[in-house]
Amino acid sequence: MKESMDQKLNHEFKPSLTDNVLLLKEILSNCDDIVFREFVFHEKINEIKGICIYTEGLVNTLEVNEILDLLIYRGKELLATVPSVNLDINLADKVKSEILSKHNIKLLTKVEFAIEGVLSGDSIFILDCTDKVFLASTRGWNERSIEDPATEQVVRGPRDGFNESLRTNTALVRRRIRDPLFKIEAMKVGKKSKTDINIAYLDGTVKEGLVEEVKKRLNHIEIDGIIDSGYIEELIMDAPYSPFTTVLSTERPDKVASSILEGRVAVFVDNSPFVLIVPTYFWQFLQASDDYYTKYMSGTFFRIVRYIAFVISLTLSSIYVMLVSFHQEMIPTALALTIASGREVVPFPVLIEALLMEFSFELMREAGLRMPKPVGQAVSIVGSLIIGQAAVQAGVVSPFMVIIVAVTGISSFAIPNYAGSFSIRLIRFPLLIASGTLGLLGFATMFSLLAIHALTIRSFGEPYLAPATPFVPSDQKDSLVRMPWWKMERQPQLAEGVEDRVGENQRPSPPRAGGTSANSSDQDNSSNN
Amino acid sequence: MYPKFLLLACIFSFMMTGCVGKVEIDDLALVMAVGLDKGENGAIKVTTQIVRPADARGQTGAPAGQTGDPIWSATAEGDTIFEAIRNLATFSSRRVFWAHNYAIVINEDLAREGIADIIDFFSRNQQLRMRTWVLVTPDSASEVVSTLTGLEVIPGEAVDKLFRYTTISAKSPSTQMLDLQSAYLSDTSQPVLARVQLIKRGVSNKKPGQAGAYEQVDLAGAGVFRKDKLVGILKPEEVRGLLPFIEHVESGVVVLSCPGDAEKKMSIEIKNQSFHVEPSIRDGTPAFATSLVVYGSVVEAGCPFTLSDKKDVKKIEKEMEEKLKEEIELVVKKAQEEYKSDFLELGKVFQNRYPSESREIGNWEDVFPSTLVEVNANVTINDSSILYKPTKSGG
Repeated sequence: MKESMDQKLNHEFKPSLTDNVLLLKEILSNCDDIVFREFVFHEKINEIKGICIYTEGLVNTLEVNEILDLLIYRGKELLATVPSVNLDINLADKVKSEILSKHNIKLLTKVEFAIEGVLSGDSIFILDCTDKVFLASTRGWNERSIEDPATEQVVRGPRDGFNESLRTNTALVRRRIRDPLFKIEAMKVGKKSKTDINIAYLDGTVKEGLVEEVKKRLNHIEIDGIIDSGYIEELIMDAPYSPFTTVLSTERPDKVASSILEGRVAVFVDNSPFVLIVPTYFWQFLQASDDYYTKYMSGTFFRIVRYIAFVISLTLSSIYVMLVSFHQEMIPTALALTIASGREVVPFPVLIEALLMEFSFELMREAGLRMPKPVGQAVSIVGSLIIGQAAVQAGVVSPFMVIIVAVTGISSFAIPNYAGSFSIRLIRFPLLIASGTLGLLGFATMFSLLAIHALTIRSFGEPYLAPATPFVPSDQKDSLVRMPWWKMERQPQLAEGVEDRVGENQRPSPPRAGGTSANSSDQDNSSNN
Repeated sequence: MYPKFLLLACIFSFMMTGCVGKVEIDDLALVMAVGLDKGENGAIKVTTQIVRPADARGQTGAPAGQTGDPIWSATAEGDTIFEAIRNLATFSSRRVFWAHNYAIVINEDLAREGIADIIDFFSRNQQLRMRTWVLVTPDSASEVVSTLTGLEVIPGEAVDKLFRYTTISAKSPSTQMLDLQSAYLSDTSQPVLARVQLIKRGVSNKKPGQAGAYEQVDLAGAGVFRKDKLVGILKPEEVRGLLPFIEHVESGVVVLSCPGDAEKKMSIEIKNQSFHVEPSIRDGTPAFATSLVVYGSVVEAGCPFTLSDKKDVKKIEKEMEEKLKEEIELVVKKAQEEYKSDFLELGKVFQNRYPSESREIGNWEDVFPSTLVEVNANVTINDSSILYKPTKSGG
């Protein structure tokens, strides 16, 4: 009778090497990337043989060789001190502590863990006449180097981005928060993929219950494999039917670090350069890392520009369609004439014209994204010619519509988060159709529906539109405007808020006569008062 | 189940609207100005100046059926204005759209018979704006409406801009539908409308010989109404006395003779002006004291003149005061004696100050001609532009 895989994995290791090797070979049959390397641990006494098993490509071969060297050459010395009769229980412990003390070794008895270790890049060493198996942490595979985050560029600020390796990613954040309270907890998700997931948070700052909630949702996941953090995002988000994204994903370690300092929880997923941050406010999608690194005035200015871009990309085409096909009296006369003259030869209603142009724009964006890089140029040339010049000259669309669609498109690119920009682009279409069919009434109805919907959403217990609605006065320091750092005294409402963020008297000022440094003179001054 | 149903209901409700009330902007005949004349047999003749967008805007990249004429004037007659406009639809390929109308031009013959129906129609229709200019003309309104001007492509736009800067010339008041309606509905004030005239002027800079060959719309005083009927005309030079009463005037030019030499002229530009009417009751009848405070600047002097000569300054200030006073007194006299129409809105001022007394004095129309109006003017000349010393040869 053949045993099932689960039963095989449930076995414990036996003292006999041949039995163990047989079992493992059976489990790992037809796995050509698994290497079995036999070696002789000690030839004189009892011919102690050994075998080393690892997955090729996932291990650092140098380290494996080093362990083998130690086992082979130092084994003799060790056994010389041990009487041959006692060659049973103590052997494994002795080998671990005396020979392999240099390496990170675990002793295993269960087959399942050994197999999991091998498949995750560790290597196991089995010796004859002991039922314990050495699991050496020898992970070492090729990974992409740390590069610029491709989707979130900054002018001023760190240029490192996450890569596909979980450990590298957590290390990038750890380098930014060197505090023992910064916790990284590990778990595994995915029946087949057994993907490593790390939950990172700042103990004491994170709101009570939030980490538990994140863990609860992650534990609830039952899926065969997690290929990217996008899977996790969709499986833990609060509003699965909503076009809005309630989980922020980022490639930037600095963004993750600052979010953790604000009391959020980050979810690292192995094999994905996108780290998830929860809970998320809608406005975070409009805030770029640059805002915090450049001077606060320019940071605020660019932020406001982005808010305007958001409004434009959401409403401009709808408002144009609404005005031109329903409310011509609302257009200033001179502009009305210009629009009318451009539309004189256009055969389609404005709504169709707008949908046509929006569609060609989306088409161009999508094509430009999927094309192989060398061909990408061609798309933009053809696209700009067709959409811009030829369509107008042929009289298919009016020049004004081209401007509207172009401005809308550029505005949507100004939204710093890719996922955020997409959800805004999506909700533009119902708005457009509503205002093209019912005019101002349709626009107002659809806009209200969308607003009501956004108001009802929560992200891990936090209202999605906070701190605007519900209005949180203390959080306004970092919402529409970005206050200077010396003004941000308290932690955001989201955090526990027990600690102050910035100390007192942090506003720099030039030294007074007699004073030495900015801050000391400030303090002198206050003490004199 | 429930949210899915809601979503479907939403989608279908938008799809099944059939786009109610949708009219594309290029299916509209945008009216830029409308002229109202007397038609045959008591009918009313409506002339609409409809813009042809493709020609009104030199649109690059959108070659339309350009014929070169930026406007298309369509005339139709009917017993009422609305009927006349409906008759327009028998030959207009696009739907007539009034919201962008700049001006309503009324022929004086028609105005003499009464404009009550015009006021009603143009304030009742939801497409029409209350800020449309309303004017009267002694010429045919249809001609005024279709007269092309030299600078603006669309005549209606030219009229609009003409009125935006009337304060410079001060030859006509700028009157909107809103003013007309409020004066008409008021039980004390009477309407006064701007007046335009067609005068031959040159519009070509290339052919000086053509000067005077083309008729242009000129500001030409104001038309005074009693109730809804035109009763008289204020000449362009008389309008300056009227403007302080009904508009906020800030500038203007007064031509005076030089202090030393009456032959030579100098111009004073009014820089800042405030006008106040103080109502009072004397012996049971309303009386008014108007005071005009003007700060002027010498902008042109045909004789050597300097601000440092206090005696000269006093002299021209006095002269200017007299002149301004005369102008106002003339208009008041015309209003009280000739037209017996309170288009100066004095009754409104009195009513606002003495609401209960105004109810007791009886019909304002009967009281107004005999009320006492005192006119005061105070002129200060404190600026001579950028020249301080007198302009004189060898000096």
